[in-house]
Amino acid sequence: MKYTARQPEKNVNVTPSSPIQEFYILTAGILGIIIGIYLILGFAVDLIVPHISPDFENRMATHFLRSVSNDDAGNDPCSYVQSLVDTMQEHCAQLPYRFTVHVRNDPAINALAFPGGHIIVYTGLLEKVTSENELAFVLAHEMGHYAHRDHLRGVGRAFVFMTISALLFGPDNSVSTLLAQSLNITKLSFSRTQEYHADEFAVHTLNCTYGHAAGAVDFFEKIPQAHEPGKFGHYFASHPENRLRISRINEIIDTEGLKRRTRTPLGITPSSDSDGVGAPRDPLGHHPGVSINGTSIITTRTDSGRNLFNVTTRNVETR
Amino acid sequence: MRDLIIFLILIALGFTAGTITEKRHYRSIRKREKELLHLPAVTIRKVEYPDEIITSAQLVYGNAVISTDYFKKFLAGLRTIFGGAVKSYESLIDRARREAVLRMKEMAPDASVIVNVRVETSTIGLRANRKSVGCLEAIAYGTALTLDR
Repeated sequence: MKYTARQPEKNVNVTPSSPIQEFYILTAGILGIIIGIYLILGFAVDLIVPHISPDFENRMATHFLRSVSNDDAGNDPCSYVQSLVDTMQEHCAQLPYRFTVHVRNDPAINALAFPGGHIIVYTGLLEKVTSENELAFVLAHEMGHYAHRDHLRGVGRAFVFMTISALLFGPDNSVSTLLAQSLNITKLSFSRTQEYHADEFAVHTLNCTYGHAAGAVDFFEKIPQAHEPGKFGHYFASHPENRLRISRINEIIDTEGLKRRTRTPLGITPSSDSDGVGAPRDPLGHHPGVSINGTSIITTRTDSGRNLFNVTTRNVETR
Repeated sequence: MRDLIIFLILIALGFTAGTITEKRHYRSIRKREKELLHLPAVTIRKVEYPDEIITSAQLVYGNAVISTDYFKKFLAGLRTIFGGAVKSYESLIDRARREAVLRMKEMAPDASVIVNVRVETSTIGLRANRKSVGCLEAIAYGTALTLDR
């Protein structure tokens, strides 16, 4: 029998299948897993957070910090606010953190508590406050969030989520990148109770530092009713209504018999662009006017998420 | 959001361009394979031909580098979670090996047979920058014999 060379009729080495269909099935599977983990984490965060040591938090925080620290507004206001925080921590609010203050050029009237003791203060806030006591209260309020680990509860879910996906897919996988982007859906929000407790902590710290509690409600009274609410960040939107908070703070002061004395003047002068018109845009690309409900922290977190995933080990295809 | 859009564009681009390139490549492969059917490439190491009819014996080789596309890479990434055949890479390897064998044959158009053929595969382009899309290299080599019959 003679052998005749001929081409095989079909290619046995390539599975005849629709890649699009495979794409949809696999993506649906991944989304299912993500939603599952997300739901479970919602319940788990409160259990996990008390067990995260500040030391571990500090180490993880470097990822967050990378995207934040590059826009500091300069040393002058920064060192002043830093010294204020240091004084409070040294004498009155001894928390297991080494607080670092970052002053950020942004007209948003806001301050944020980042993991690892990094307090972000926007220049918009520094321009609005008139006395040192007032500023100290806002800072002490943020420190109150640290004391109760609220900042971890807020970020926690996304934080754990990112770690899990990095473990699952490898940090530098396109799947992980997609995941990091879809984390946008989470929001940092503090509950009313958390805000009340942070306020309480702040009043006590203020009283301890200055010997009286004057200036505690100044900041809230300054928020005009008709003012564009987004500008006031979480002090307006996610925090309980102002009136309620003011009366609550006054109640604490009255029931505990705290004194009100003369306020200490501010140690810095506000910078020139106090109206915020000429202020630079946020490097992360969102308009300062729309930083409602801590959107700023979300954007930053997404960015840092990308940073986390960029810490590469090896790729899928590497053999 | 902007990143997500970029990502989706890359996926769509990878799919469209990848599919077009692959179809065209397969057409070319089948056409050339047909033309070179007269030249067998076999894996045997020893031949029974008497020495006097072998007029030349020469090393021939061909290699091909085929790159994956964004879509295939993403699909393979998803596969690494669930397991199973990585179908998106199957055609990649198939194309690279067949192209390499074809080029090897094209190197010896006048030969009667290519014996002791080996096909090897390796990945390139992944070391320098881990974010880059990986490439697959296939090399085929053998001994081309010209017989005087």
